Amino acid sequence: MLVTTLILGLVLGGTYALLALGLTLQYGISRIMNLAYGEFTLVSAFALVALFKGAGVPPLLAIVLIAPLGYAVGWILYAVMMRPLVARAGDAGRLDVASILATFGLMFLIQGGLLVTFGADFTSITYLDQGVNVLGVPVALNRLIAFAICVVAGGGLVLALGRTRWGLALRAVAQTPGSAPLVGIDVNRVARQGFALGTALAAIAGASIAMHQTFSATDGVVFTMKALVIVIMGGVGNVAGTLIAGLALGLVETFVATAIDPGLTLAATFAIFLVVLLWRPQGLFGRR
Amino acid sequence: MLEVTDLRITYGKHVALDGASISVGAGEMVAILGANGAGKSSLLGAVGGRVRPASGQVTYKGRDLLRLPQHALVEEGIALVPEGRGIFPGLSVAENLDLGARPRRAKARAGAIREQVFTLFPKLAERRAQIAGTMSGGEQQMVAIGRALMSAPDLLLLDEPSLGLAPIVVQEVFAALARIRASGLTIMIVEQNARATLALADRAYLIEAGRITGSGPADTLRTDPAVVRAFLGGAAVAES
Repeated sequence: MLVTTLILGLVLGGTYALLALGLTLQYGISRIMNLAYGEFTLVSAFALVALFKGAGVPPLLAIVLIAPLGYAVGWILYAVMMRPLVARAGDAGRLDVASILATFGLMFLIQGGLLVTFGADFTSITYLDQGVNVLGVPVALNRLIAFAICVVAGGGLVLALGRTRWGLALRAVAQTPGSAPLVGIDVNRVARQGFALGTALAAIAGASIAMHQTFSATDGVVFTMKALVIVIMGGVGNVAGTLIAGLALGLVETFVATAIDPGLTLAATFAIFLVVLLWRPQGLFGRR
Repeated sequence: MLEVTDLRITYGKHVALDGASISVGAGEMVAILGANGAGKSSLLGAVGGRVRPASGQVTYKGRDLLRLPQHALVEEGIALVPEGRGIFPGLSVAENLDLGARPRRAKARAGAIREQVFTLFPKLAERRAQIAGTMSGGEQQMVAIGRALMSAPDLLLLDEPSLGLAPIVVQEVFAALARIRASGLTIMIVEQNARATLALADRAYLIEAGRITGSGPADTLRTDPAVVRAFLGGAAVAES
């Protein structure tokens, strides 16, 4: 019983962690609080379903196609929509207000587009859903694959940020943007890359969710909220903290669902959120 | 090498610099001396790309610097150590230095320059894994200067490198500046500590209320009665 909860919780948490990574990058590096984040995961989820059902593209191949598309969309969106906000805002507080309002509008725009294109019905695909035995617990193969994608993408990101020159520049901008031009870093360019990378991660998360979960065109806000809860729990801009908080949320939700009632998972999520906000607003692993 | 012509800098209605012209030749160390708020940091900030002047010209090796964004100046060979140091406090000493070596001009020589920086500031070699923000003010200044040197600059801009440091640490910083200067690097420095700066510089400009009010070789200025009164404190100089 406990082992089952642990394994299913970790598998769910892996998806959550991946979901939250993109949001934390977008806010940490680009300083854009993207309330339309969940809509980007949804667009990607629908794209995967359409590619699979319409063109017979295998989901794993579809993810490889969708991820760079996500990067491109994020890149263009930052250049066209976010950059003017950043240029005008001047300080972080005003940018927060501007980006929240702007992406709140964008959320409805994308949601409307999805409703018109795909309708309001729930969608899902059947793909690799046979059970696999993990330490005596049967887990659907598609969920394990989604977890593996999280480990690869999340681990790759942690390594890239921590070990490469490119990652060092990203961290420098995330921590002290005012000093970055002194070492020749073009902050605007790095912010655009961070936003694009975040969108690519949203796309990967959305595609891996579509492999094993039923979803509809109005689910974006739930994805955004869960990602936001994890980001704040992990400490904004803290990649390792986000990974841990994502796994923790998956464990808590699975535990609540099995031990108490499946209907309470969302309530549990927001109860944790409230406690973190009251007790450690800088996040469980945040400094300051 | 550097020509600043009729530079005017305003912040809203406040005029920080009202038509300043200076020049810095290759291999020279030029000091800008003046009281708080005289406009010397604004002048340096304009050369370093941090401050956008209202009018005037800044040319460096014949290139118009005002057309370039701040981040492009490092590649031109200009490194700024701003007031408040501008380091990355959340990153380690080694990471700060690595970031300094980002420009293409420095990449190939990064290893050799790093050794020079470590020779200049042995403390940085000992503390390379330490998070820069946890160091003392003087050590952070060493990180800032070391990081600037990592970019293999031709022109080093220093804004108040001794500000807020204990006297013994100030000595240490100026000793390091003397060695940097001896290596032949062109330096433009803004300082409150006029005595130590004039002892090191070739020439100096005096700046008051946004205008250049005097200039000359450092040796001459050190004994100029007006300079002594305004910047050096008369009695103290009589002793030296």
